[in-house]
Amino acid sequence: MMTVAALRAKDYKSDIKPVWCPGCGDFAVLSALTKALAHLELPKERAALISGIGCSSRLPAYINAYGFHGVHGRALAAASGLKAARPDLTVLAVGGDGDGFSIGGNHFLHACRRNMDMTYIVMDNEVYGMTKGQASPTTGPDWMDSKMTPHGPGVRRFQPAAIALAAGAGFIARGFSGDPSGLTRILAAAIEYPGFAFVQVLSPCPTFRPDHRDWKEQVHGLEAEPTGNAVEAARILQADDGMTTGILYAEELPVWQPRNQASASITEIEEEFRL
Amino acid sequence: MNSDSSSARALSVAITGSGGSGAVTAGLILLEAAARAGCYGLLTRSSGPQIRGGESAAMVRFGMQPLGCMGDRFDLLVGLDWLNVNRFADEIPLDGEGVILFDPGVGAVPPALAGSGARQVPLPLKEQAAAIDGGRLNMVALGAVGAICGLPREALAAGVERVLADKGGGVLKASLACVAAGYGLAPEPFAALPAPAGGTDGRWNIGGNEACGVGALRGGVRFVAAYPITPASEMLEWLAPRLEQVGGSLLQAEDELASINMIIGASFGGVPSLTATSGPGLSLMLEGLGLAVASEIPAVVVNVMRGGPSTGIPTKSEQSDLNIALHGMHGDAPHLVLAPLSIRDCVFTTQWAVELAEHLQTVALVLSDQSLGQSRVITEAPVRTPAPLARRVEEEPEDDYRRYALTADGISPMTLPGIPGGIYTADGLEHNERGTPSSQAADHQAQLDKRLRKLEAFDYGPAWAEQHGAGPLAIVTWGSTAGAVLEAAGRLEAGGVPVRVIALRLLAPLRRAALAEALGGAESVWVVEQNHGAQLFRYLHAEQALPAGARSLARPGPLPLRPGEIVDAVTATT
Amino acid sequence: MNAESDQPIATVGELLAHALELELESAERYRELADTMQVHNNPDVASLFHRLATYGDAHAREVKQRAAGLELPTIAPWDFKWTCPDAPESACAEDTHYLMNRCQALQLALHNETRGQLFYAAVAESAPDPDVRFIAAEMAAEEEQHVAMLQEWLAREQCRAEEPPEDLDPPNVSE
Repeated sequence: MMTVAALRAKDYKSDIKPVWCPGCGDFAVLSALTKALAHLELPKERAALISGIGCSSRLPAYINAYGFHGVHGRALAAASGLKAARPDLTVLAVGGDGDGFSIGGNHFLHACRRNMDMTYIVMDNEVYGMTKGQASPTTGPDWMDSKMTPHGPGVRRFQPAAIALAAGAGFIARGFSGDPSGLTRILAAAIEYPGFAFVQVLSPCPTFRPDHRDWKEQVHGLEAEPTGNAVEAARILQADDGMTTGILYAEELPVWQPRNQASASITEIEEEFRL
Repeated sequence: MNSDSSSARALSVAITGSGGSGAVTAGLILLEAAARAGCYGLLTRSSGPQIRGGESAAMVRFGMQPLGCMGDRFDLLVGLDWLNVNRFADEIPLDGEGVILFDPGVGAVPPALAGSGARQVPLPLKEQAAAIDGGRLNMVALGAVGAICGLPREALAAGVERVLADKGGGVLKASLACVAAGYGLAPEPFAALPAPAGGTDGRWNIGGNEACGVGALRGGVRFVAAYPITPASEMLEWLAPRLEQVGGSLLQAEDELASINMIIGASFGGVPSLTATSGPGLSLMLEGLGLAVASEIPAVVVNVMRGGPSTGIPTKSEQSDLNIALHGMHGDAPHLVLAPLSIRDCVFTTQWAVELAEHLQTVALVLSDQSLGQSRVITEAPVRTPAPLARRVEEEPEDDYRRYALTADGISPMTLPGIPGGIYTADGLEHNERGTPSSQAADHQAQLDKRLRKLEAFDYGPAWAEQHGAGPLAIVTWGSTAGAVLEAAGRLEAGGVPVRVIALRLLAPLRRAALAEALGGAESVWVVEQNHGAQLFRYLHAEQALPAGARSLARPGPLPLRPGEIVDAVTATT
Repeated sequence: MNAESDQPIATVGELLAHALELELESAERYRELADTMQVHNNPDVASLFHRLATYGDAHAREVKQRAAGLELPTIAPWDFKWTCPDAPESACAEDTHYLMNRCQALQLALHNETRGQLFYAAVAESAPDPDVRFIAAEMAAEEEQHVAMLQEWLAREQCRAEEPPEDLDPPNVSE
């Protein structure tokens, strides 16, 4: 049989042309995701992509699957409600670092903790791109190029992977848009993981963070199999320079999912009120 | 005797106490007992801010006619103790015709209550309780109350057995003995309540929050996201196990920002979804509600209103969230606002709200309040209405499927995840018919028109309001105040003043033509509501739905509007 | 980076699977670039990338013809044995800019074709199977022709090395 992987990945791309700037790392994420979905042979109509607001959150419209482009920071909440009510769907939440770790921070914590079966992909460019280049929670403290924080944010970075681990996530991975092959492998594993899978993708913004062109020299792969031990993972993540790619931690944990199975009628339930 | 003479007699009893004295339990039993005796009844509660052991009061009103509000006064106050009872003085109006029952061992009747002139009847409640193994003072008091009110012993016993069913044999035995002892202590009963006309078959004992839950299930809700907030939490707690029983689920959210987005996500997946909250939570949910309106995803939020603004008075009722319900979303975001008119009506109105939201693919806000939510009523069982409305789902989309297609009635058939060929991205961004984001003028105009048209063009039928009576005097009201207004109207009519009542159940979209017809020919129009800013009055004026000269009776919480107060206001100038 | 890059390509089928993936991926990436240039109102470069995409389509057709009757292995996306991070002829996206000119686009294409040629040359030299080496050598030769064609094209454009021009408009805010 002919290898038709590329053709089928194309099937997952919608007709809508992305408005991302040329050179945006999100193109690679889009491509890797379509390849992962094709590799997993997931029927298009069974996948749902939920996003918030930001450049990365535009992704659902570019994928040929059901999409939900919600409000800023609340993708994980919408995804959780959808998965609770429709466990038959493959649910992916996507967005950027501002959407996910600033306004979405609380939902991030609880989604990690709740461990519903879904995949969360954060395209991290360490900036708020859509609103013209403000510092985000993952921006370094000394980045001076934003008018909103002219002296630099002066605050230590949010550490998504370490926080995901502390919050109880069972699958934590980091990818890089400049390594599409590695990213595809990570995304496929994340989608297959039975539980909440968190993938942070270093995805540079050429417009507002041109300084991140040097990421390709700094990124390095994890030289080991992913650990299934949370304590070991904590050690790795605390020592991590934030540029290690690969599946950093994977352990199967109890998944939260309602049974959605009827056992009584409404008439029976209403009996409790009868005199 | 009491000012209920124009309607069939009803008795109002208040039981107060603190420190775990069991005032509320006694109230619950009294309500149940009254029901067994063939009465209709209403129970409301009040308490201090403590989590446990604080002062609390149970107020029970019962009689042979259905009751929709507390009366103007209380016939009987039972004080299990007098600690901090002054907190309730305003809520328990007593007068010279009333009776105060108490054990002198707990102290003299406080001046705030004694000053009413009510007849003080000391009884050896404590002594009787002590004489029974495991005896409690509140149960003895309950027995005495039952006797004074003319309730049959058997009804009281049945009430005890039902309410204390899961407390174990020892508690039950002791309680029954106490009630019997107290019954024997009581002085002359009030004039006996008339015998019930029919049986009590088919009546329910239900609380407002539970009733909203029943309505939600009947309407098809199978997913709820919940965040606790006073006074809505009980609705969510009632729903949690019962949703599971019918094959649905409840997910406890981390905050209201999560819960509103969760129900939108679930609804996007095709499952009718609902959440419940109060004012502060609704404020947080507004952005999410706008998303549901813009992306045309059905969503229902029950707002059990409480004293506002801000943290306000969490344990007390008020109708001050009409403004935010109508106008809280940014942009032009037409949606549905409904308000149940009684505890029993919570079932119908919530069910209707769910069905409308599903069919019209929009947001429905249901404005219940603490006085409905946390009160209980003995009432006729709510009739199970058939559900003709449903979500218009496109199961077999054609090639050029457009999620937001411009249709004549404004409702676009909706695909659901899982349906092949119907893929689209729901969006809060303005969009064209296909759902592709668009900033074009024509698209924005067309979609705004459509989202308004679908609501305005729909035929809501007669349920938009409850109308009673006829006459040159018209009283317009909404939500829980309807109970007091209807009782006031009954008194006015009995006193020779014809009056028509229009109690609005559907507040948005406003049925202007129907309201104009209902008010046609009225010489004097009053708008009665429980808030400081006369929110309904101003809304109706803004909609040019009131004749010049219409008057407003608007009073904020925490005290309920009483029928006598309404009668006085509308007759003062005529 | 894939872990198996030190494993040689063992069969003709595997080689052709790689060749097909290389061309299909290349065409996809050029099409993506053409789209983004079009969205950013650079029609000149958009049409150039589009043309390069059609070359990729044509080369893919050729590979398919070559593979007629053969059973090609299905290879997971990350298991391709490229000698560099991404499929050799796929554009390095970060070198693109919405104001780039034809010269810069052609230089990008040249860079990719060269990598493709180097890939086949490496296989031609080190693959254990002689048939694989033979076909890889043929493909390397073809790639040399593509490289030459691009060099000619570049020469015709009379390019000078330059940075993308300064953008006189500040970035837009869209939502």
